[in-house]
Amino acid sequence: MNGFLVNFPILAIMTLFVGAFVTSLVGRRNAVARNIVVAVSVTAALGMILALVKPVMLDGQIIAYWLGGWQPVEGWAIGISLEVDALSLFFGLIVTVAVFVSGLYSFTYMNHDDSLVNYYTLFLMLSGSVLGLVLSGDLFNIFVMIEIMTFTAVALTAFRTGYDGALEGAFKYLVVGSLGSTSVLLGIAMIYSQVHTLNLAQIAALIPGQGANPVMIAAFAFLFMGFGTKAFLFPFHPLAADAHAVAPASISLMISGVLTKCGVYGIIRLVYVLYQNYSTPFVSYLVTGFGAVSMFVCVTMAFNQHNFKRLLAFHSISQVGYVITVVGLGSALGLNAGLYHAMNHTIFKGLLFLTAGAVQHQTGSLDLDGLGGLSKKMPKTTLLFLIGAASISGLPPFNGFASKWMIYQAAFLKGVYDGNFFYVIVAVVALITSVLTLASFVKVSQSVFFGQLPEQYKEVKEAPFAMRLPMWILAVLCVVTGLFPNFVQTYLLTPAVRAVTDLTGYIDAAMGAGYAANHGIASWPVTVIPVTGVWNPVSWLLLLFCVTCGVAIVALLASPSDNSKLHISSKDESDEERNDKYESFFSGEEALYSQVGGSDLFWGFKHNWRKYFSFMHDWHSGIVNDYALYGVVAIALVLLACIVIL
Amino acid sequence: MKKKNIIVRCAADLFLPLACVFGCYVVFHGNTSPGGGFQGGVLIASAILLVFLGHGGSKVKGSFSERLLHSSETIAEIMYVVIALIGIFTGLNFAVNFVFAGHQFETSTLMNDAVGYHVMAGIACLLILMLSTLDPDEDAANESSEGKEADPK
Repeated sequence: MNGFLVNFPILAIMTLFVGAFVTSLVGRRNAVARNIVVAVSVTAALGMILALVKPVMLDGQIIAYWLGGWQPVEGWAIGISLEVDALSLFFGLIVTVAVFVSGLYSFTYMNHDDSLVNYYTLFLMLSGSVLGLVLSGDLFNIFVMIEIMTFTAVALTAFRTGYDGALEGAFKYLVVGSLGSTSVLLGIAMIYSQVHTLNLAQIAALIPGQGANPVMIAAFAFLFMGFGTKAFLFPFHPLAADAHAVAPASISLMISGVLTKCGVYGIIRLVYVLYQNYSTPFVSYLVTGFGAVSMFVCVTMAFNQHNFKRLLAFHSISQVGYVITVVGLGSALGLNAGLYHAMNHTIFKGLLFLTAGAVQHQTGSLDLDGLGGLSKKMPKTTLLFLIGAASISGLPPFNGFASKWMIYQAAFLKGVYDGNFFYVIVAVVALITSVLTLASFVKVSQSVFFGQLPEQYKEVKEAPFAMRLPMWILAVLCVVTGLFPNFVQTYLLTPAVRAVTDLTGYIDAAMGAGYAANHGIASWPVTVIPVTGVWNPVSWLLLLFCVTCGVAIVALLASPSDNSKLHISSKDESDEERNDKYESFFSGEEALYSQVGGSDLFWGFKHNWRKYFSFMHDWHSGIVNDYALYGVVAIALVLLACIVIL
Repeated sequence: MKKKNIIVRCAADLFLPLACVFGCYVVFHGNTSPGGGFQGGVLIASAILLVFLGHGGSKVKGSFSERLLHSSETIAEIMYVVIALIGIFTGLNFAVNFVFAGHQFETSTLMNDAVGYHVMAGIACLLILMLSTLDPDEDAANESSEGKEADPK
C-alpha cells in the first residue's frame, strides 16, 4: 500500500472536525467563506474514503493505525488505534456519501434560518464523530464518538427552536439517548474489568477464553441494548419519530441514514467480531426478534401518521428493523443482505427525507391532511419522491427490491436449513411489512403529490435546482444499485462480508501475525454467497404463482355474506381514526371543499385493526418518563434473559 | 450602581492574580504532574467569577470580550489538531511525539497547553453567558440589600 494512504482514515475524520472549528471561526460574519469551508471539508472526507476503496475493498488489506505510533507491546494493545477493514470502510462510505449529500442540500434548504454558523459547526462535528465511530479500533473511542454524536444530534434536532415540539423532541432524544450511551459505557467498563484491554482486536481474541463468564454476558446485554438505542430499535422508536418530525430535513437524513447505521455497525461488530456468538440460537432469537418486532410495529405506526416526516421516521426504523433481523440470522447470506439493505436504506430514505424537506421548504407545511396535488406544481420533486417510494417499497427495478429479496431469501433459507419455524415466520413478517410499506407510500403520494391542490398552495414553485441536485444524486444511486446488484455484490458486499468472516486477519492486523492462532481463534469457513436469487426468472414465476394463489384465496374466502357484519358507523371508531374528513363521507357534505386525503385510503384496514391501533395510541403517550421506563425495562429484561440463558 | 462590600472587593483583587498564576502553573506542568490542561484552564477561567463577585456583572462585561474568547477557543482547537497533524506530515503517525522524544519537554506539553487555552476560553465563554442571564435588576437589588446588611451604621 502507498505509504501515505494509511493516514487517510485519521485525516478524513480530522478534516471534518477541523472544518467544524474553522467554520465557527470564519463563518460568523462571512457566509460565503463558511459555505466554502463546509463544502471543502465534506468533499475532502468523501475523497479520502473513496481513495481507500481500492486497497481495502479490492485488495483486501486491513489498515491498523496506531495514534502516536504506540504499537502493541508484548501482546498488549495500550495505544489507541484506528482499524479499517472492509466492514468499517463500507460504513465509512455510507457515512461520507450521506454527509456529502446532506451538506450540499443544506446550502439551499437552510437559507430561511439564521445562526447558520452553529448549524454547520454542529453538522460537521456530527459527521466527524460518526466517521470516527465506524473507523475506530478502540472500544472506548467508540463510546466517546457515540457521546459526541448524540449531543450534536440533539442540538441539531432542537435547531429550529421556533417549531412546535422542537425542544420537546430534542429533550426526549437526550434523555433516552443518554440511557443508551450509559448502557454502552457500562458494557465497556465490564469488558475492561475482565480482559484489561480496550482494543477491539485484542478483545475479540481474548473473549472466547473467558468462557461463560457472567460479567461478560452482562456486558454483551448492555452493549447490545446501547447500540440498539442508537439504532432506535423497538422500545426506543417513539423518540426517533418525535426527533425527526422537528429536525431539519438534512439532519433527518443524517439521523436516519447515518446515526442508525452506527447502531447497526455496533451490533455487527459486537455479535460477529467481539463475541463471535452469532451462531448461538439465543443470540439469533434475540437480535432477529428485536429486528422483526421493530419492523412490524413501526410500519403499522407509520400508517397512522399525519406528519410527512414522522411517517418517514417510522419507516426508517422499520427498515433498520429489516437490517437487524437478517444480521441476527448469523449466516453469510443474512449478513450480506443486511449490509446491502443498510446501504440502500441510507440512499432511499435520504432521498425521501430530502423530498419531504423540499415540500416543507416550498410550502411551509408537512401536514399530510393539508397538502395535496403538488405534482402539478412540483413535477420534478414528485418524480424523485416516486423513485424513493418505489425503492423503499421494494418494487423491482430499484435497489429496495434487490436487498429485500435477499432478506426474504436469507430468512427463509435459515428456517429451512435449521428446520426452525421461527425464521419462516420472520420471512413472512418481512413480506407483510413490505406490503404495508407500499400501502403507506401510496397514502403519502396521494396526500401530498396527487389529489386536489388546496387553494393556499396555488402559488407554490418547484424546488430550486441546488436542492434537486443532491436528490438526483441519491435517485441515480437508487437506480444504479438496483439495476446492478452483482456489481455492488462484487465490489462492496463480498469484501465487507469477507472482512467479518476473516476474524484472524482482523486480529492479526492489529496485534501482529499469529496472535489469533495463539488464542485459538479461527476464521469462519469461507462460504460462497448465493446471489443468483436476485434476478432469477424461476423465482419470479414462483412469486407470481404464490401471489395469484393468495389473491384467489382471499377473493374466494371473503364471501359477500360477511359484509353484513362489516358495520360501518362513525360511533365505534377509535379516536385514532376519527377525523373530520370522514364526516364528509358519512354525514353529508360538511365542507364545501374536501379532497380524498391519504388517511381516507386505508380506512377499512384501520377499522379492522382498531383495537391494535388504539392500544398503540395509548402506548405512545409522548411522556418522556414513559419512554425512559420502556427503555429501562427492555434493558433489564434483556440483561435477565442473557444471564439466565447464555 | 452601588459598590460591593470592601472585604469582597479586596479578597477578589487579592485572589485574582493567584488564581491566574496557579492555573497557568497547573497547565504548564500538566504533563509531568497531576492536573493538566483541563483543570488549569478551569482555574484560570474562575478569574471571571472573582471579577463578578468583587465588581459585579457590568465590570465583567466591560473587561472581557466574549467574541474574542470564542475565537480563542476555536483557535486552540485548531492548534491542537495542527500539532497532532505535524506528526503525519513529518512522515510519522498522527499525534506522534516529534519534539525531542525522551526529554522533559515533549509534544504532549504543547498539546496540553492547547487544551489549557481551549478550556480557559471555553469555560470563560460559558461563565459570561451564564452570568449575563442573571437579571440585572435582581442583581442590583441583591447588591443594595447586601450593602445595607454590611453597613448597619
